[in-house]
Amino acid sequence: MDDLSPFLGGVLSDAIDGGRSGAEIELRSGAIQARTPEGQTFSIPFRACRLELGGASGRMIFCHDESGGLTVFCEDRRFPTALELESGGVLSDQLDRVRGKRRSERRRSRTVAIAVVVLLAGLLFGGYHAVVLAARAAIAALPISVDRQIGDKVMSTMDLGGPPISDDLVVSAIQSIVDRLKPHASVEGFDYRIQVVDAPILNAFALPGGSIVVYTGLLEAAEGPEQVAGVLAHEISHVTLRHGLKGVAQSLGVVLGVRTLLGDVEGLVALGAGLLSEGVISSHSRAQEAEADAEGVRMMLGAEIDPRALAGFFELLHAKSGDTPGLIAWLSSHPQHEDRIAAIETQIADLGAPISRPLDIDWEEVQRRIGGQVKDRNE
Amino acid sequence: MDVEIRDKPSFAHLGVSLAPGERIIAEADAMASMSSSIDMKTRWNGGVLSAVLRRGLGGESLFVNEFSTETGGELVLTQAFPGDMECIDLKDTTLYLQPGAFIACEPTVSLGIGWAGFASFIGREGLFRLKVSGRGRVWFGAYGGIFSRDILTELIVDTGHLVGYEPTISLKVGLAGGIFTSLFSGEGLVTRVRGPGKIYLQSRSFGGLVSWTNSHLW
Repeated sequence: MDDLSPFLGGVLSDAIDGGRSGAEIELRSGAIQARTPEGQTFSIPFRACRLELGGASGRMIFCHDESGGLTVFCEDRRFPTALELESGGVLSDQLDRVRGKRRSERRRSRTVAIAVVVLLAGLLFGGYHAVVLAARAAIAALPISVDRQIGDKVMSTMDLGGPPISDDLVVSAIQSIVDRLKPHASVEGFDYRIQVVDAPILNAFALPGGSIVVYTGLLEAAEGPEQVAGVLAHEISHVTLRHGLKGVAQSLGVVLGVRTLLGDVEGLVALGAGLLSEGVISSHSRAQEAEADAEGVRMMLGAEIDPRALAGFFELLHAKSGDTPGLIAWLSSHPQHEDRIAAIETQIADLGAPISRPLDIDWEEVQRRIGGQVKDRNE
Repeated sequence: MDVEIRDKPSFAHLGVSLAPGERIIAEADAMASMSSSIDMKTRWNGGVLSAVLRRGLGGESLFVNEFSTETGGELVLTQAFPGDMECIDLKDTTLYLQPGAFIACEPTVSLGIGWAGFASFIGREGLFRLKVSGRGRVWFGAYGGIFSRDILTELIVDTGHLVGYEPTISLKVGLAGGIFTSLFSGEGLVTRVRGPGKIYLQSRSFGGLVSWTNSHLW
């Protein structure tokens, strides 16, 4: 019979060296019988058995003999049922009591468990947002010179992917666009330093503090200076909205959340150092991109540059995607540009017809100069 | 394998002499010195997943070291804090250890992680506990002295002094007295330990050291 199969458990008795031992437990001949690995056997008749529930797991069954000097214990889930069957009802009352106690304790611990889980989830959620908010408030309180120091540090460790262009006409054309946008930035005091880098990459990026890098790949592809102005307004917005540092704050919240959950995670402290530069140069979140688009459009309107050029640039990217591998970079860091075009058009429609004043730039000449550089590079 | 606990009780460490072919498993970072004839092999503390669980939730290392030798040699194992060490001989029995207490065991002993329950968690003893079971000797350490108690009915233990206990022991966390006493007596939460079974206690607690240090920092 299956019930007769030995259960694993243990014995407490002064007759054992050390007072305790693991044991195989069998139910037969009207008694609970335990045999230790050393060969000692112990027996408690069912009639003389006093049952108790306890143990570290809360579901261990203790069988004490009348004197209390011998205890056999077992944690096997099948043990109570086997005991009921084999004892022929002698232990039914005691087993019912044990089961009742077990049920009520299980119910209680389930209630406690749910309460603790809810509390923990609340703490994690609240903790994450508190850290992000506190870090953002701290960033807002930081002087913008800090942005510049961090940006410079990151810039000095970056491989830009090509040599800077020194052609005066090209550099001053880009500078003139920035000069026109600068008075309309939402935060004053940033010093925008433009570098035009010669590489076939259709991208531009900004670092905290105002370092902006524009690649010749983007200037070649742009259909006019207004589109470049759109990209620059967008990048300047990342700087004035301090998106780089806010990204770090976001990551910090995640790290602290993980720490709270798992206790000490020393490796993450080391990661934290890398996180700063990582967060600054890695791509911005979708929400930040949308924010920078809206702020860029606002700046362009203020500077009297047609903001539809920014939407136009996205359309150009969309049409060109697949042509150039370099495009992939821009697309991956700036997802969903159909949505963004729609958002920009809605914003422009809400603000009324823009007044626009052309940029005083000989765009054909700029592109010709860049083309010359590219030709030099190829030869 | 001949293992001696030396410099008891304050700065206990294990002097292990391995005969050819013998092995011992030790907590990562426990080795203080060893003969050049001993090979050290680092392996995951159980499987990868259970090792990660033990690290994250049980406060143990990700790795354990296995020391073996073909020609025999001496090995010294120690713990990070001052205190005593104890050896117990498992006879197909189980012992639960609090995070950080495990130092070494014979290769026939198996290391596992067990759910300790929310009572243990609220008592700041962790959600999980290290479970050592099987046959063979286990060495564990404590902060301060180690003493054991055979519990027949119930004993009240200050949270943080519990080092290890047998599976027949049940733990319940409760307030030391009424709310007022609990808040102002400095006892706070206590653990009610119910027998039958044996528990191992340490005479100092890390929580006590931390609050004593904090009170002297300013």
